[in-house]
Amino acid sequence: MSAPASINRLDPDRTLEGSNLARQVLRDLGLVMILAIASLAVGLAINRYLSQPLPLVYQTPEQRFDAELTTLVAAPPFKIAPAATMGLPEFRAAVDGKRALVLDARPSLFFEQGHVPGALNLSRQDFARDYRRLSPTLKAAVDKPVIVYCAGGDCHDSRLVANALLTLGFSNVSVFTGGWEAWSGAGLPAATGSKP
Amino acid sequence: MTGLHDARWKYAALAISLVVGAAYIYAGVSKLGDPLQFADSIAAFAILPTIFVNLLALGLPTFEVASGLLILVPRTRRVAALALALTSLVFFSVLVSALARGLTLDCGCFGVGAPSRSRMWLESGLNVAFLAGAIIVYLRSMPAPASQARSARA
Repeated sequence: MSAPASINRLDPDRTLEGSNLARQVLRDLGLVMILAIASLAVGLAINRYLSQPLPLVYQTPEQRFDAELTTLVAAPPFKIAPAATMGLPEFRAAVDGKRALVLDARPSLFFEQGHVPGALNLSRQDFARDYRRLSPTLKAAVDKPVIVYCAGGDCHDSRLVANALLTLGFSNVSVFTGGWEAWSGAGLPAATGSKP
Repeated sequence: MTGLHDARWKYAALAISLVVGAAYIYAGVSKLGDPLQFADSIAAFAILPTIFVNLLALGLPTFEVASGLLILVPRTRRVAALALALTSLVFFSVLVSALARGLTLDCGCFGVGAPSRSRMWLESGLNVAFLAGAIIVYLRSMPAPASQARSARA
C-alpha cells in the first residue's frame, strides 16, 4: 500500500531519482522565499513595538546627525571646510602635554570599555544630549585646540562631530584619524568607565 | 551525496545542525534590539540600494532566528539548512567584496562591534564553515538516491 502524498513528501527515507533532484531544490528554494517573507513580516511587526522604531526608508548617519544638530542651532547646519587631521605622534604629544580638549565620538558603550585618558565622550550617536551634558566644559574650549577621534579604520563619527563643532563656533578642531584602533594598537595607556 | 546517507553521518549532521543553528540564533537575537545600528552596518558595505537597507535590517535578524530554530527540527531541517547555506554564502561574498575594496568595517554579523579588518577575515572564515556545514546538512536531509536505497534494502 502506498503512503499518502503528504506523508511521502516528508519521509526522509523516500528515494530520489536524479531528474527529481532539481525539482526538489527548486521546491526548497520556494519554501526559503516564503520563510524570508514571513520573517520580514515578523520583523516589521516587532519594529512597531520598539521604543525607537526604525523608519522604512534609511537615513544615513550624516542625515540623522544634521537633523539632531538643528536642535542645537536655530538654523540648519551650513557646509564648512572639513576639520584638519593629525596622526598618532602629534595626537600623543597633545594628550601627554594636555594641550587640547580630547573628545571621543564613539557610542558610550565603547567609551566605557576603553578610551584615551582625559578624553570626554561626545558621541555622534547622542550628540545633542552629550553636548548639553558637557556644555560648560565645551563652551570654555571654544577658542582652544579640540581633537576628536572615533574607532579608527573607516569610521566617520569623528569627522561628523568635528564639523558639527566647527558649525557651532569652535575655531580650532582637528581629527585624530587613527582613532582608538591606532591608540590601543600602539599599547598606549587607556582609561575605562564613564569618567575621563 | 551518496556517502552522506551512511549511518555515521547521522550524528555528524545533527551536531552540525546544533552548532550552525545556535550561531545563527545568537546572531539574529544580537541584532534584534538595535536595528538602527545594523542598518548602518549594512549601508556601510555600499552594496544594497538605500531603499532596501532598513527592510533588510528588520527582516534578516528574524530570518536568522527562524532558520536557526527550524534547522533543529528534523521535519524542517532541510529547508532551514538551505536558507542558512544561502545566507552564509551572501555574508561571505559581501565581506570578501568589502575586503577587496579596502574597506574596514564592522560587519554587524554578531551585534555591534568596532570596525576591524582582522575581524572581517575571521567572520569570512566562519561563514565558509557555516556554508560547508549547512550544505552537508542539506544534502544529508535529501531523500537518498534510488540506487543507494535499493542496495540498502538488498
